[in-house]
Amino acid sequence: MLNFLMAAFDNLTPMNWDVLKPALNFLWQGMLAIFVVIGLIIISVKITSYAIAAANESKKRKEEETQNNNDNQ
Amino acid sequence: MDFLLEGFKALADNPKMIAMWIIGGILIYLAIKKDMEPALLLPMGFGAILVNLPLSPVIGDPANGEHLGIITSLFQVGIEASEAMPLLLFIGIGCMIDFGPLLTNPKLFILGGAAQLGIFVTIILAAMIGFPLNDAASIGIIGAADGPTAILVAMQLASKYVGPIMVVAYSYMALVPIVQPAVIKLCTTKKERMIRMKYSAKQVTPLMRILFPIIVTIVSGLIAPDSLSLVGMLMFGNLLRECGVLKSLSETAQTTFSNIITLLLGITISFQMQADAFLTVETLIIMALGLFAFVFDTIGGVMCAKLINLFSKEKINPMLGAAGISAFPMASRVVAKMGTKEDPGNHLLMHAVGANVSGQIASAIVGGLIIGILGPFCGL
Repeated sequence: MLNFLMAAFDNLTPMNWDVLKPALNFLWQGMLAIFVVIGLIIISVKITSYAIAAANESKKRKEEETQNNNDNQ
Repeated sequence: MDFLLEGFKALADNPKMIAMWIIGGILIYLAIKKDMEPALLLPMGFGAILVNLPLSPVIGDPANGEHLGIITSLFQVGIEASEAMPLLLFIGIGCMIDFGPLLTNPKLFILGGAAQLGIFVTIILAAMIGFPLNDAASIGIIGAADGPTAILVAMQLASKYVGPIMVVAYSYMALVPIVQPAVIKLCTTKKERMIRMKYSAKQVTPLMRILFPIIVTIVSGLIAPDSLSLVGMLMFGNLLRECGVLKSLSETAQTTFSNIITLLLGITISFQMQADAFLTVETLIIMALGLFAFVFDTIGGVMCAKLINLFSKEKINPMLGAAGISAFPMASRVVAKMGTKEDPGNHLLMHAVGANVSGQIASAIVGGLIIGILGPFCGL
């Protein structure tokens, strides 16, 4: 059994430390990229929420003004 | 009468097929008896038996002078050509997701991103063990805890291990309730697990719910164009749900459409479960690496939550970081259950759902990023 496993593992090379540095580069690039995308989405959502809230507030004020004008007449 | 014995002779030439019958049987058992992702494990299990019967016409290949088999045809059209099946499934998934809890607290998005750490750490380990970069990246994406993403990335990177990766990805998604609690307890103290979080049921406007999928698609598409297939389909499904004028389409996408695709996907995946390709030592190593990816995803999410707590006045329960993996809705339920177990008055479900759905988006984006960053290095 042990000989079988050893023979099977011959297909894979022992730990290859040469790939560690390029692979770590992928790690920081990948994690940075995901947080950049997430950050931009959060900012976009906040700006959009603010814009919608401001538009709703403005609409509400206009409606109140119209209501007041109608009441005064 | 020799034709009656052809099957047995072929089986004698390749007895590994019997091992695949056993594996197929185990998948069917897990699906039925243990209720582990039955929608996928049962078709995969039965398919594993089907494709490993000698002289099986379901995997007939005209290149070998055979008649085109049904499973070969489904694989070529549904997965090999343009990864249509997993992408179409994402429409249904997008229809099922309510991003309201995430939009109420967009900071939870950060946890979704952090919970993808296991993907990259596993890529490093797989590459160091000796897997070629494209295979290492395809193995790492198991950590996305998302079947369609795993299939898409493995196919686009032309991995040799698509079959084991698919089986492992879907199997481990069902093991989330077993794997995560142990890792969470290792990374957190009881005091941290008892942190209560206020939930304000702030109403998200219908306009915001409609704009969100459009915003996510545009931002992801501009920064990570390779993620557009996954993110686009997910967000299209969500837009169908939130637009309010396509209720019948949304219901169809969530139910009948998703069920059809799931049914076909399960049996199509079994094309990659032929004995010669599946029964290798590499498959066992991929299973171990898949578990490693899930563990590090959980660690990444929890540690990110703890890091945020260092700078934030309003503390986040670190367990929410574990909900940031894409296994929806299981991860959120696991975290909510652990929260009430530690403190019966601590209701974390809505926060956990917010983190969980952010993980759905984050895993799709990471899938695209991996194809974009590593594709050129793999010569693709």
